[in-house]
Amino acid sequence: MLPADCSRRLVAELRGALDACAERQRQLERSLRVSRRLLRAWEPAATPAAEPTLGPEAKGEHLSPACTPSSQDLKELELLTQALEKAARVRKGISKAGGDKAPVPKSGSTVTPVTTTPSHLQAPGQADGRVSETSPPRGICQTKAPTKGHPERRLLSSEDRISWGRGARATRPGPGLRDQQTAPPAAQQAPEAFTLKEKGTLLQLPMAFRKAASQNSRLWAQISSTQTSDSADATTTAKTQFLQKMQTASGPHGPGLSAAEVEAELGRLQEACSLLRLRMEEEVAAAPVDWKQELRCLFTLEGLQALAGQCLCRLQELRAAVAEQQLGPWPVGGSRSTLSPCGAGADPARGPRLLLYSSTQELQTLVALRLQVAMLTQQIHLEKVLMAELLPLVHTQGRWGPRELSLCRAVHSLLCDAGERFPTVLQDEPTG
Amino acid sequence: MGRQRRRVDRAAGAGSGTLPEAIAALSRALPCGPSPETFRRAKFDRPEAAPALWQLLFRVLSPVSEAGATAPPAPEAQARLVKAALRSEGYPRPALAQLPEDGSRGSRELLLALSWLLARRPLLERLLARTRVRLGDEVAVCECLGVSTGCLGTEPDPCPLQCEDLAFGRANTGLPALGLGSELHVDIRHVQWLMGKLRFQWRNLVSTQQEQCALLSKVALEDGTWGRCCCLPLPPAQPGSTLFQIHLYTWGCHSDQSLGHLSATETEVLRDPEGSQQLLQVLEQENAHLAATVEWRRRELVFWQWMVRGQSRDPAWSSALRALQETVGQELAALRWAWDQGRDPAQPHGLYRLVRSEPGAPAGRGLQAAEVIGALRSKEACLEAALRQLQGQCRRELARLMGALPGFVWISSPVR
Repeated sequence: MLPADCSRRLVAELRGALDACAERQRQLERSLRVSRRLLRAWEPAATPAAEPTLGPEAKGEHLSPACTPSSQDLKELELLTQALEKAARVRKGISKAGGDKAPVPKSGSTVTPVTTTPSHLQAPGQADGRVSETSPPRGICQTKAPTKGHPERRLLSSEDRISWGRGARATRPGPGLRDQQTAPPAAQQAPEAFTLKEKGTLLQLPMAFRKAASQNSRLWAQISSTQTSDSADATTTAKTQFLQKMQTASGPHGPGLSAAEVEAELGRLQEACSLLRLRMEEEVAAAPVDWKQELRCLFTLEGLQALAGQCLCRLQELRAAVAEQQLGPWPVGGSRSTLSPCGAGADPARGPRLLLYSSTQELQTLVALRLQVAMLTQQIHLEKVLMAELLPLVHTQGRWGPRELSLCRAVHSLLCDAGERFPTVLQDEPTG
Repeated sequence: MGRQRRRVDRAAGAGSGTLPEAIAALSRALPCGPSPETFRRAKFDRPEAAPALWQLLFRVLSPVSEAGATAPPAPEAQARLVKAALRSEGYPRPALAQLPEDGSRGSRELLLALSWLLARRPLLERLLARTRVRLGDEVAVCECLGVSTGCLGTEPDPCPLQCEDLAFGRANTGLPALGLGSELHVDIRHVQWLMGKLRFQWRNLVSTQQEQCALLSKVALEDGTWGRCCCLPLPPAQPGSTLFQIHLYTWGCHSDQSLGHLSATETEVLRDPEGSQQLLQVLEQENAHLAATVEWRRRELVFWQWMVRGQSRDPAWSSALRALQETVGQELAALRWAWDQGRDPAQPHGLYRLVRSEPGAPAGRGLQAAEVIGALRSKEACLEAALRQLQGQCRRELARLMGALPGFVWISSPVR
């Protein structure tokens, strides 16, 4: 059995590692659920807005990147759509039975999103043949059609397609409804569920969303550019002046270090220390065969000693700085992410940074390597912890009975082979 | 007062405009920013301005989850955390630590503290980046961000996960709440068991991750070519991968041509418009903060001049001390650089949005996966070497120890 405090520390450390791993797993599974749900057939009542391209330019063919309209174009389309709505309203007012389809070119392919418009005006049933091929999203618009106030506008306004905030999910038109306004729902009842695989290329994000997203990236880019503009010099000078005055007002202290900086520095020094120690051990363990090798070994050791001296000096400086500035540790529960640079990328304002991959294999390799690096980092940390806790135990064993031997075997296995193999101990029985 | 300093320094370009406008921009840019009037009162050390500033500093210095919690801690506790955090940051003025925690006074000192934080770092940008809405399938290429961003994040999360500065795997120290009594001993076999469990969990994680990739990347390929041969994903046994599929199936949909396809997050917006409305709201809020930050950047010079003018001078120290500080600063910087040299600057950092592209596509749009793979491979090799070294060290030490024991033959396990 391990001593109590050692047990506590080891178990705490390992539980922490397990928790971190479990947290990753949880997040991953959550993402996986979302992704899988996206790839299944989408429920009709909650279907997406395979958003209609606005206006007469109904693109029956799927939206290829080449013809993606600019925001200016979209605005114009919006205006055009409104004009069309008005025309449709007028026309409807003229011919009540509204057998006329709205002047929307249908290119005959599977999806002409704007066919929803005519469905609003058509006699029931006419839209079926066409609309049945469109996904149930039409249903959303149709369910909204009965709403008073702005029926057509709702149908065609791209923003409202998505029915932000409207209970589009809730209502699925009943089977019997066959009136003008709900004709397409009849088609919707044909269980042609929307699947990403078949119709994914027809999707388009809602207008409001796109606007907000593009404004978002524009603003982030602006922030990044203002930071590098020439006029920033005067500001930087003023800031530096301010900081210096803050510093001098508090007395003769050195340039302020933060606890985070001290800790980072300590981490580097620790790494330096372990590297130095390892190198030294290697040199000491090596058996020089001739005088040249021995000399080289000596030079190396002297160099290592000098470096170690530097580290020690630095450590003392840090200690003095901490004492002088009365730096405390970061408060428990606080997060330094605001103040440390690699939070969400060293330069958060540098716009959406893209990572381009070209095949599943590449993506999988990348992600697998990433996990591997994370795992190795954790393993190294745990190795150091285990070494710190278990090696002293082995060293301080008094007697060497079977229990102590089995402890030693276990420790060896954990520290040297990550628990995968065990050494063998044979008792050397004197014969005779 | 402030109103007298209109039209300061037009010639400077940035910083033109009035002080009130600058302060108004700052107030809008900060999360739960106090009103511009509060700032002005604080300059005059009015007591009524203190509580708002304590709250603001708490919000800035505390983690995301705390800041967004429905029940923030009591004002005294907030004040204590602010003091501790500022001390940890190296705040130079001792006056702050002496302020009463009940918020009855100290607004001027708090304003100075806020300005100090603003001056040292791009605080506003970092605050916004901390809670930035992620629309893409983001992957972090470094470990700096810890667990929260370790996986591919696809769920639209208006309140993104906190980027903890925990080294991965470092447990909380002093953890009595594990249910271990202070006198509990464990056998080493329990430790072995925990390690084994950890190994198994990692393997699990790797295979789940592989599936996620494949599913996601399906969103990104041209219709027609792939659509027919990829079937819908089945439970984990299938080698199909979610992310890949999602990318594949929505190729050509994105209005942003440089991206080309939708991410899982964006597709989710389409699938569940109602549920995603919150996302839109958060996005719009962020835009408002961003716009205010841009304006602040344009006008902040006035603010700094105002602050500098307000500071008390200490002529006895000034010049000699400044010279001393500069020299020491330079020395320390040089020393620090000597150790920083060991770090690998080539390692990419931070969060990236995953985008599928054609293999032969011209570079320059972003980071290529192949590049990252190369960097990760070399990092992996380094880490493996480091682990081997440590294990070797243990091996030698134990062999030495056991070899010295009489009556036993120690046969070490074979070195890999």
